[in-house]
Parts: sequence; C-alpha cells; structure tokens
Amino acid sequence: MRNKIGFALSIILLGAIILSTRIYEVDLPVWHFFGGGKGLDPATLHLAGEFVESNLGTAREPDGSYTVRMLAQQYLFVPQCIEVPAGVPVRFRTTSADIVHVINVSGTADSLKAIPGTVTEAEFQFPQTGEFDAPCREFCGPGHFAMRAHLRVVPQEKFANLRSDERRDCDAH
Amino acid sequence: MRTESPSRAPVLLCTALFCFGLPLLLLGNPADNGQPALRVPSDVAWTPETIQLAANGNAFRGSLLARQCGHCHGSEGFSAEPAIPNLAGMDRLSMWKELQDFHSGKRSSPVMQPLAAMLSAQDSADIAAYFSMLPTFPDPQDNRVFPQPVPDPEKSRAAEKLIVFGDGSRGIPPCEACHGPVGYIKGAPSLATQNAGYSLIQLQHFSDGTRMNDINMAMRSIAKQLTEDEKSGVSQYYGAGRGPSTQTPHPATL
Repeated sequence: MRNKIGFALSIILLGAIILSTRIYEVDLPVWHFFGGGKGLDPATLHLAGEFVESNLGTAREPDGSYTVRMLAQQYLFVPQCIEVPAGVPVRFRTTSADIVHVINVSGTADSLKAIPGTVTEAEFQFPQTGEFDAPCREFCGPGHFAMRAHLRVVPQEKFANLRSDERRDCDAH
Repeated sequence: MRTESPSRAPVLLCTALFCFGLPLLLLGNPADNGQPALRVPSDVAWTPETIQLAANGNAFRGSLLARQCGHCHGSEGFSAEPAIPNLAGMDRLSMWKELQDFHSGKRSSPVMQPLAAMLSAQDSADIAAYFSMLPTFPDPQDNRVFPQPVPDPEKSRAAEKLIVFGDGSRGIPPCEACHGPVGYIKGAPSLATQNAGYSLIQLQHFSDGTRMNDINMAMRSIAKQLTEDEKSGVSQYYGAGRGPSTQTPHPATL
C-alpha cells in the first residue's frame, strides 16, 4: 500500500517538474480554454495595443528593468535585429501575427513560443556581450528555414540614457 | 452705491486654477507615460469581414470604374512606363489594400491619392476584381514595356537564389514564400508580371522609409537588408518575365 502511494506521489512530482520547465507552453492553452487568452486579435496588432510597430524593440521601464517586445510573423521576427544589455535579466514579450513560432537563442536553451492571440513572456539573461542568432524553431511554412532574428548583446552602459518612451533596435545608436 | 469687493479676485483666481489645473493634474502629461508615439502603418486589418469585402468585388462594375485607370496602367493592365505598375492578374487583396492606403493617405503618391480619395471600399474591391481577371499572357498589339531583357547571368543567378531560397544567414525569407506561387500572405502582391522599374522603386522606398504602409514592417525589414545590386537584380528578374508564374489565388483558399 505504502509502495503504491509513494509511486503515485513520485509520478505526480515528476509531472509537476516537467510542467514547471515548460510552463510557458502549458499554461497558455489552459488560459485559452478557460478565459479565451488575453483577447489579442492577431489581425489587428498593428492598429493598437502593445505590439504596434512604434512600441517594438528594447525598452527601459521606469523602474529600470528591461523589456524586449518582439513580434513573430511568417517569416520574420520584428524587429529583426535587437540590442539587449548584458548581465541583467531581460524580459521578452512576444506574440504572433499568424501562426505559432518559437524564437530560440542559438547556443542556449532560451526559447519562447509566440502564440497568436496571447502574449508570452520569459526572462533571459546574457552574461557576455556578443552576437547571437535567434532562428525560428517551429516549422511555420515554406520560408521557415530563413526566418531568423539577430540578437546583439551590448554592455549595459549603452542603455544608460534610453528614455522610457524610446525603443531601441540595432538601427538606432 | 455698490463697490467691488477686493476679496473676490483671489476667489476667482482660485476657481480658475481649479478648473484648468485639476484636469491637467488628473490626465497627466500625455508625452510622459513611457509609451512612444503611436505609428500605424495601414488602417487595413485582415479581419474576416475585410477579406470578404476585398475578395468579392463585382468585376463588371469594376470594368466601368476602371476606364480612367487605363490611361496610365494600360487598357489591358500592362503599362507603357517602367515606373507605373502592371495590374493585369494582380492579387485582389493586395490591390484593395493599396487603394485603401492611398485613400487614407498611409501610402503617398501625388497621382494616386486624389484618385483613390474618390473611391469607396466597395469601388476598390470592384476595381481589384476587374484587374485580377485580366490575362497575364502577352498580346503583341499591346503597347507595353513588360518583358524587358533578362539581366546578366551572374545577376540572374543571385536573384533566383533570393527568390527561391532567400538568405538564411541574414534572415531574408524567399520572395516566393509570400508572393507566390509557393505560398501566399494576405496583402502580398503577385510579382510575376511586374515592371522592373516599379519593383525597384518600391524596394528602395521600403528600405529608406519613404513607403511605410506594410503591416508589421514585413517589407521594410527585408528591403533594409538587401544591397542595391540585389534589389535591381530581383526586380529585373521578375521584370523579364522569368519569375515563377503566379496565379491569383482563389478567395476560398485565402
């Protein structure tokens, strides 16, 4: 009897561990099932809301933290090249304008799924400066293999005078 | 005899300050909320209603409305000027979107803006339906510039590579994944019969930010990364009629 309870408990524990590592993939469909997500319409992202084109890129929040807003669509990440500060946690927020994409920072386990209709969020930290490729890791159509963003990790000092209403990608210096 | 009370002026001043100051205090300075100024590329959004309207125009009514289009775009949809786009066989959704953007001023053109300002959304759909039905095969009687000479072999090969495979290292997707015939994205025009001069001008305008009406910065992101040689190569390749043949997708497949 005790063996059986222990077995059941270990299964539950194992399940919980697996779920907790993939929480960004698991909790959102559950949200969708009960509440219908955040009510984001993938067709009207460019008209209003968080993912209008002038709000995309790296932002410095009033409290000093960093947020990257990125949009995935067939077959581009927008902005395609972003600059992020090294050594501090960077919050990534993303959504998709059409179907599911996954942005994966090459050489690391950092990945974030972009789901139409919902905002997904994850916090990554880049210890060293350098250039990273961030390809799409979920097959999304005939242009999938060329869908790739670039991540430029720069010293944090470069963000010192970024105003809270400014957004930064690789073009702006 | 009535004298003006001297104590009334401060009261009035306080009332005025309260009336004008309180709303300012409550609303705050709109520039200081940590959000950048909103920039909307195009008022068109591909909602089901929009697609329904744009894809189901009346081509006969469109043919009557399109009489004055022929002066520049050619009576058969093939223009005689390299800088003016060919419209024969053009995808309905993309043509409807461009007319709407000219109408709203999101895309600027001294010629097209006043003309499109007169069109309703239904008129644009009808005109798009008419031009999408025009044949794209050559007519020897027609005064057109369309198939132009093929670019030199080296340029052709580079262009073909971009059109079919894109460039993965720079994140440039293949042209034909969105513009057909491999895949279609709503609002992406068919390119197989487009004039080289027009395509080149549009690519340059996308890369230098003169044209900003692409939804979610799709073409601006791509054109920014193309070199001048690549831009002219791709446009000439399509302008020579060498591009993969594109047919207007059936509305039901969109």
